Amino acid sequence: MTEVLLVATSRPQFGVLADAVAKLNAQGARVHLAGSFHLEAEGVPEELVKVAVAEAHQLPRNLHHRSQALRRRVGKAPRGLRQWIQVKGDSWLRSRARRADVLVALDVGAVYTVWRLAEYNRTAPAKFGLAPALKAVEELRTQGGTTARRSSLLPPLHAVARDVRRGVDQLPGQLVRAATPRPVMRSGVGARLWRSAVTAPGMPIKVRATTSRYVAEGMQWAGRVSGAALTLADAAAKIPDLSLRANLYYEAVMQEIKKGISPRDLGKAVKAHLALADAEFAKGGTDEAAEALNRALFLHFHRVLHIDQLSSPLAKDAEGFVAPLHMSKAFQALSRPRGRRVPAAPLPGDRPLRLLVTTSANDNFLHLIKAHFADHPGVELRYLDLAANKHLKRISWAATRMLKDRLSDSSSDYQEEVERLMRPHLDWADTVFLEWAAGPAGMLTTIDPGDTRIVVRLHSYEAFTRWPHLTDFSRIDDLVFVAPHVKDLTTSLVPVLRGEQAPRMHFVDNAMDLSGFNRPKPAEARFNLGLIGISQVAKDPKWAVDVLERVRKHDERYRLILVGGDMDPKTSQATKEYLKQFEELLEPLEESGAVVRLGPTDDVPSKLVDIGTILSSSVREGCHVGVMEGAASGAVPVVRDWPFYAGKPNSARTLYPEDWVVPSPAAAAEKLLKATATEESWRAAGKLAAEHALTVWDWPVVKKHFERLFLDES
Amino acid sequence: MRETANQFAKAGWDVTVVNIARESWELDSGIDLSLLEQVDPRVKIEELPLVREDLETDIRLYDEARALDPHGWVSELRRRQTQAFPEPNFGEWRDDLEQAVLRIHRKQPADLLLASCVPYVNLAAAWKLWEEAKVPYAVDFRDGWSIDVIDGVEAFARDSEEGRWEKKVLDQAVSLWVVNDPIAEHYRKRYPEFADRVHVVRNGYDADSSPGRVHNPDPESGLVFGYLGTVNFTVQHLETVLNAWRAARAKEPLLANARFELRGHIGNGANRGANRHAEILKEAEADGVLYGGPAAKAEVADVYARWDAMVLVLIGGRYVTSGKVYEYMATGLPIVSAHAVEHDASNVLKGHPLWTGAPGIDEAGLTESFVKAAHMAVETTDEEHADAMAHADQFTREALMSVAVKNLVEELAK
Repeated sequence: MTEVLLVATSRPQFGVLADAVAKLNAQGARVHLAGSFHLEAEGVPEELVKVAVAEAHQLPRNLHHRSQALRRRVGKAPRGLRQWIQVKGDSWLRSRARRADVLVALDVGAVYTVWRLAEYNRTAPAKFGLAPALKAVEELRTQGGTTARRSSLLPPLHAVARDVRRGVDQLPGQLVRAATPRPVMRSGVGARLWRSAVTAPGMPIKVRATTSRYVAEGMQWAGRVSGAALTLADAAAKIPDLSLRANLYYEAVMQEIKKGISPRDLGKAVKAHLALADAEFAKGGTDEAAEALNRALFLHFHRVLHIDQLSSPLAKDAEGFVAPLHMSKAFQALSRPRGRRVPAAPLPGDRPLRLLVTTSANDNFLHLIKAHFADHPGVELRYLDLAANKHLKRISWAATRMLKDRLSDSSSDYQEEVERLMRPHLDWADTVFLEWAAGPAGMLTTIDPGDTRIVVRLHSYEAFTRWPHLTDFSRIDDLVFVAPHVKDLTTSLVPVLRGEQAPRMHFVDNAMDLSGFNRPKPAEARFNLGLIGISQVAKDPKWAVDVLERVRKHDERYRLILVGGDMDPKTSQATKEYLKQFEELLEPLEESGAVVRLGPTDDVPSKLVDIGTILSSSVREGCHVGVMEGAASGAVPVVRDWPFYAGKPNSARTLYPEDWVVPSPAAAAEKLLKATATEESWRAAGKLAAEHALTVWDWPVVKKHFERLFLDES
Repeated sequence: MRETANQFAKAGWDVTVVNIARESWELDSGIDLSLLEQVDPRVKIEELPLVREDLETDIRLYDEARALDPHGWVSELRRRQTQAFPEPNFGEWRDDLEQAVLRIHRKQPADLLLASCVPYVNLAAAWKLWEEAKVPYAVDFRDGWSIDVIDGVEAFARDSEEGRWEKKVLDQAVSLWVVNDPIAEHYRKRYPEFADRVHVVRNGYDADSSPGRVHNPDPESGLVFGYLGTVNFTVQHLETVLNAWRAARAKEPLLANARFELRGHIGNGANRGANRHAEILKEAEADGVLYGGPAAKAEVADVYARWDAMVLVLIGGRYVTSGKVYEYMATGLPIVSAHAVEHDASNVLKGHPLWTGAPGIDEAGLTESFVKAAHMAVETTDEEHADAMAHADQFTREALMSVAVKNLVEELAK
């Protein structure tokens, strides 16, 4: 009997495995499966039944039962080593491995484990993959089916020596760990003591860095996330080596970011990375400078700070927020406008305009535009989805490569690659319309567009990311915004947009077909508040619940109808926290019927039939499509004065009729009660809102703006 | 390649083929030894002990670094390999190939070297023999090099290392063969100075792969649709085809008991026969789908003879033809096209009486194609089947290659 041991770290392709095991059995083999994937996970036992293995054994799936220090050390080790450390003590595995005639790794993660097992069993073929395993069994059959076992309990001498060496390397960590146990770190005094220890004068740099990491680990273990961050940051402040300092600051702020907290030392961490970038840039290390600058921008514009929170330091003082960046020499090199050699060519007089509409996957707001210009006699339309082609996708979001290119004065291979892949499109098009001013805008402006006119649309979220800072706006002819307040914010952030080389700027409303929204509403809809779109923290649906609770104090007939998919807790820890609170708030209200969740839908117009008041509870919006659609349906709009923009020259108050906008939940409740006091007053207010929406935002009106944008020479 | 060698031998040439060892082919997606039986016995074969190190599956041959991080190790290997010649996986073969052709030439002076790619490192051997002994050479590029035929974009710039190699080698080549007009156009445009040396030599099909007779379906016991070829398309592509197959079976009574058989290689190295595609096919067994493993060359005609319609699943677009299309046409069976609308296979199939057309990789369109093909399979007369087979006559490999070899010999004599 040939004994075959299969080792898998991830769920195998069960159908294929079943076939292969049947073939192995037919050749007289007995097959044992050791898996560190979850053997009891949903669906797995049913699949395993179909695989005719003699036994399937669950290997340890993680290192949770092992020490924190070991886990930290192993966390940085290659996956194969992590896996081996996880499973090497398993007695079932060791005994089957010693007796096996063929050892097989089913996936990449299992290769090192099999390699190590093969040191104990020194005669069995050790193979990677099922087809090689089948062949090995076939070959063994010719010699009786088994290997001449010379297995031993001990691995060869060189393997023992290697393991001893590794053990010695671990000693300092073990010593420090002994001194920073969990109970000490749990006590505030102990934690403070250790924090001050990492800043003690005269400590060698490496010892300070290592100690701070162990102390931080202990604190994190004791649940002191901010303490861990502070410890690393304190140590970083005492370290003169720019690279090590930046690294420690990075580790410090990431401790908090991972927990969804805005880090208190973010400014210092960004400054440390900028200092490193400047030092490297000054001595010609453009690659290193680009890496450091990329990290600075990654931290400065991290979504936990700006996207997944109800406020953002960027919105409070945009110019002040980016000021530290502009003091960096490396960043200055990045933002230097390079312009274009020739201006965009005038419109072709003798043939239709060649218009290339492009985006990276997200074409949510392009459908009407594409359909309209596809049939327009004055336009020859092409559409390019940058995410659909692996070459274009690779260059579209390559932040570090963009930075390397800018810092090396446009002499990198990135420049060459963008040129090669995008030039044919630029050669064809008279005008390129790029949707979303994100990664692809940085990519496209890496090269001079020749005489092709470049039009880019910036919606809103892009302003809160690093991408506008990687975009050379001097190579863009027209920048389209969906609202004035987004333009104000973006120009505050990017100085080029305030200078001579700024593109022409336009406001064009989002393309929406509102014709099907205006349907008769039943009388009961008067008491239904609606919120469309709740999938992001920025939508702040808790505000809407606050409004609901206030109006219900006057009349319990009021209900809140939520339309759209829920937030994805996997987006970030901050999102997860918000969602948890929101769900807790919602639970009793849903039970009582005060809140109704309709979930995602493709048919918003029919959902709006039952909604009498449409809310915008967001903290920021470019233009709130849900409100515009709601207004078009004849629902009364009640719009929160979006806090990111409230009080500024342009805001929700200037985008919408002023009487739609309210400063607080109390004011919202008051307005709502007044507007819906009688059926007549409610219907009259809804009619006015619908008229406004249809005359300002409906596609027949907005399409003229797009035609002007693309086809009007003046 | 086999037919080219045979045609040269037939024309009275003394032919030596440089190949890699059989075991090395085994490591790749497998080997079909029956193909060797059709090689003209006058052709000499020189096997070099070259192997694709990245595909090694014997863990005992791994050092610790490779065992710890197999993917990382292979990435590093590929980077290293490109130092000798700018081609991952094969670059390091350069020296052995160069020495092999010099050795063969020393033993028996060669009048012509024909470098067939892939791998492109073969070009280095051609160049070496040209540099050292001025032996003229031709390049059989098949799908070209500087064009990425799948995505239809330039694969590398002219001033890249690959670009410089391609230009240098093609500058001196007697002739350049490619498989279709769009690729030829790419080369003529890129190198106008030798546009007249660029020739289209279509892949064609082996006459003995054709079942050679009109086929009579038996809908009572279930129509059989077939795919024969390497499973090299994406998982998504496969899923679309299978979803369309399921929809067509549910919709069309003629297909209710139909089967869809796939034959060919799946995956290579450690994933041979065991990748996601294999799993999806296994899961589709309930829908009459069967993956029957690779088919040896000698078996091909019999396999086709059992089928009632062909499913042509192809990657890429206007730059891709694929040899399969010719072989499929020669079966005289209805053909369901599951590839991009704008594809060179569409050009080849245009005018084929039993072609369902190319609706693109679109579930609804493909569903209709399956239904249409089922009707074609049972409603077409013997004469129509014979007409369909005749449509392929112009593309027998022997016919195409004999002309190509004759032209090359003439060019050489100029």
